[in-house]
Amino acid sequence: MSQAQADFAILGTTPQARLLAGLLAGTHGKSVVFVGESRSGFRLPRDLDLSIAPLTRPDSWALLRAAQPVVQKLITRIGGRTSWGRLDPVLFADSAEGQQALAHIRQIAQGFGLAVEKLRPNALSNGREGVVFRDVTMIHRVVAEPALDRWMVQQGASVLDPRSDIVVHTDGSGEIRFGEAAISATQCVLADDAAILRHLPAENWPTLLLRRPATTILTEPTGRIAAPVMLEIDSGLTLWQRPEGGVAAFAPGPMDNVLGKISALLGGTVHRAGQSQYESLITRDGAPAAGRIDGSGPDVLAGFGPSGMFFAPALARWLAGVATEDENRWLAARLVTRSAHTSPVAEYAAPLEAMS
Amino acid sequence: MTGQPNRLAATTPHQFSGSLIDRSKPLKFRLDGRIIEAFVGDSVLSAALAAGIDTAGQRGGRPLALSARFAPSIIPVRHPGDTLRALPMARVSVTEGADYLTVAGPAQRHGLLGRILRPARSLGLKLDGGQSLVQPWLDSPIEAELEYDLVVVGGGVTGMAAALAGNKAGLSVMLLEATSLLGGHSRLFGTQDGEETPDQSIERLSSAVTKAGIAVQLCAEVTAQRPGLLRVHIVDAAQGRAVLIHAPRIILATGAVERLPIFPGNRLPGVMGALEAFELASRYGVWPGQTALIATASNPAYRLAMLASDAGVSVTRILDTRPQPQSRFIEFAKAYGITMAPGLVPASAQPAKGRGITLASHLSAGRQTRPDAQVTGDRLIVCGGWQPDLTLWHMAGGHSRWNAQTHRLEPLDGPTGVALAGSAAGYFSRHAAVDSGADAVNMLLGRDRKPVHDVVIDPIHETPDAPCPISPLMPEAGPPAMLDSGLRLLERPHAPSKGRLSWRKKPRLWSLADTPQSLDIAAIAAGVQLDVIPADRAGIVAQERVGMVVIGTNSTPPPQPVTPPLVPAFLAARFGSDAELWLVAPVEPRMLDPGSLIHRSSSDHDPRHAVGVILRTSDKGAIALMARQAPQTLSLRDHGRAIPIRLVAPYMEDVRLPQ
Repeated sequence: MSQAQADFAILGTTPQARLLAGLLAGTHGKSVVFVGESRSGFRLPRDLDLSIAPLTRPDSWALLRAAQPVVQKLITRIGGRTSWGRLDPVLFADSAEGQQALAHIRQIAQGFGLAVEKLRPNALSNGREGVVFRDVTMIHRVVAEPALDRWMVQQGASVLDPRSDIVVHTDGSGEIRFGEAAISATQCVLADDAAILRHLPAENWPTLLLRRPATTILTEPTGRIAAPVMLEIDSGLTLWQRPEGGVAAFAPGPMDNVLGKISALLGGTVHRAGQSQYESLITRDGAPAAGRIDGSGPDVLAGFGPSGMFFAPALARWLAGVATEDENRWLAARLVTRSAHTSPVAEYAAPLEAMS
Repeated sequence: MTGQPNRLAATTPHQFSGSLIDRSKPLKFRLDGRIIEAFVGDSVLSAALAAGIDTAGQRGGRPLALSARFAPSIIPVRHPGDTLRALPMARVSVTEGADYLTVAGPAQRHGLLGRILRPARSLGLKLDGGQSLVQPWLDSPIEAELEYDLVVVGGGVTGMAAALAGNKAGLSVMLLEATSLLGGHSRLFGTQDGEETPDQSIERLSSAVTKAGIAVQLCAEVTAQRPGLLRVHIVDAAQGRAVLIHAPRIILATGAVERLPIFPGNRLPGVMGALEAFELASRYGVWPGQTALIATASNPAYRLAMLASDAGVSVTRILDTRPQPQSRFIEFAKAYGITMAPGLVPASAQPAKGRGITLASHLSAGRQTRPDAQVTGDRLIVCGGWQPDLTLWHMAGGHSRWNAQTHRLEPLDGPTGVALAGSAAGYFSRHAAVDSGADAVNMLLGRDRKPVHDVVIDPIHETPDAPCPISPLMPEAGPPAMLDSGLRLLERPHAPSKGRLSWRKKPRLWSLADTPQSLDIAAIAAGVQLDVIPADRAGIVAQERVGMVVIGTNSTPPPQPVTPPLVPAFLAARFGSDAELWLVAPVEPRMLDPGSLIHRSSSDHDPRHAVGVILRTSDKGAIALMARQAPQTLSLRDHGRAIPIRLVAPYMEDVRLPQ
């Protein structure tokens, strides 16, 4: 049996994981193996990729703002102009605290030069407040994902069969076997919720991360909603209306709760064209989490939300040891080993009872 | 029968004279204003088809066939706006003088002129876009809740056997059947050596069900299911009602669905699946045209050809995907003088000039194909093999996986209290299907189980089904190739053309994940064959994409509104660990918006340099969270403008700041 060696094994299915693998291999000259399913063509979505997120920390917005043109240019080079589009998503909240967070998000985003408008009172519903972001970049995964797969290979990453046997050791190293071939990786990166849930043993589970059920529901065509993408920041619910009228809705929480919420938001009985309940992760303080488990284990990436892909270049630099001072500072404050108690990086997080 | 051009004559005895209709009792009813002649025992759908209405409407400028799996709902004309009274055409029996309208979405209905100019053989619906036919009856309010020890879904031989076994075990049993009679589909599949005939099995089992006093509900379709609970829509005397049935044990004997061969024009009027053609003919005596072509990948289509010949139909050719098919039915069909054409895959179908269907085919040899001659018939019967109907199984949370040998999804483990039986469980022979009904009861009761022996005829004598035929991808524009014959109008994906004018249109981003409709299990199987769905993910996709209406939800109430803390967690340490609360006021009278950032200087608007933020307004003024030792005069950004403000006084409410 042949045994190759790689610097990094990136495990995950998201565009963030793919971009990270390709950048580590191509830009930073690392030897990289990537293991992750290409699923956007046939599975229900669990998240999406936007150049904005409900972030309440200015340093997060600063990183995101700087990354947006870079990632957009890169993804255009990788997947062509059809791999992304522009749209005007709406963020909204019903709760007083959510509306308070929304006001902060709007002010910070405006401070960074984004076009954000407060919707007129009751434009969405009685007592509901919302803001609309203009000209936001959204990645079209159906186009981008296969293009990213080809690009990763061009960048020198080894893209392995997702059915490979993977062993992640507590020191962060790992072994990937498929058939007669095996690759040892010096450092594994668990780059999405599914990878963390699958490969991180309970005894090494960080207190910052919480398992939660989550649900995706795809509706049959329904009336036009206020915006093609709507994020309800109270519960973390995302509504994404497709051109033919179906709405993909995903949120933390069990199926019945999410279904009830969607029915209420869409104003009536929901006819489901698909549904899926799965396990997801949240951080206790709502902020992204990165870094090594216990300081020396596998790297994890969690809680990056809809803009995770746009943080990939900074994460690649950080993992390669060439991050900027700002990036180092931002990520050092968001290590997965941090205490969630009175977190200095806390974001607005949906109350836990809204997700249970 | 001038008003029923597609009704077979019954001058000589044959199996297609229509077992459900009484030809001595003609009647008339109206559908969309048209007077339709029928017989007592007809369904609205069978009567419409017998009357020559074979088209549901137009999609992309091409006609789309009306069929049992693709028919609009209907509503009594006296209740035009009350769509909850709508009923499925196939489950409503006709009555003298009844007057119905078809129900369609607003975008699917033509204007007055369109309705006047509607072709005589069409219901005239516009079927473009992502919207399928509406089924308002899915949302009917629950009228009653029932309880049984065991519910058996499917009134074929398997379901009846399961119901009898449950009754024998002392359980209260409800047997649900979606059509108007018990028996299922076994009549099409004929008899193996040593078996009783399908009719004998059906008669024996249905008599026993009646004798045992088992509750049977016909015209009852299960529209949603979870373990222990079913939502059922029942049509009874042209009235619909929805009921919930609680049952700790559920047996799914839902049979198999027929796969639709995938080729352009596979949903044109005149193209029909073998099973539906058989049932329309055997139950209602409906068979359009005098001649028929058959394109198949499965043996029962040959039996259909013989029965049709017996009824006076000229079956001009049977195309078979398999190069050297063997079957007892084939030998009989040869004796009937029917022309056999093995090794041919349907390539495309087009409406023939005048009447009928012209079928082009390709000679198939492995992955190589080459065009063969075109043939024409009044109708084209197609059969792409059989897929266990796991729809309710997936709704209940059951798992499945793709079997590459049998080219179908087959069940794996399922939830407690739910069992599969018969063809749905993957059995092939009728004998095994019947035995599996009793076995399912034993399994649910935790009793010892006897092995079910599925005796399948040796492949040397009975060639197994081929994979569902798929035509070579045609570059030229033609009628769409649909993945399935059901309600969801899923077309075969194709690469965007690169013609001269292709720059004018953005390429459409097609993905199965985006299709805003549930995916019937046959469409999932088609997706696997077309490499749109990886075979090892077919089971999970089928489970994800099963359509379901709401049933017995257990949602927790939303959390009660709470007054948020003055300083939310997301502002912790934002302005230092020793930040202070202040009342602030604008230099000029105006409102200050919560969330507005406060800066030392009007020229600085970088949010990272902010020294404070407005938290909320109170009767005392605006409350701000401020960095310690901020200057007294400051600047606040509002809609891009710098607003001068000043610190008024420390805010004195007893608030604990986050560390």
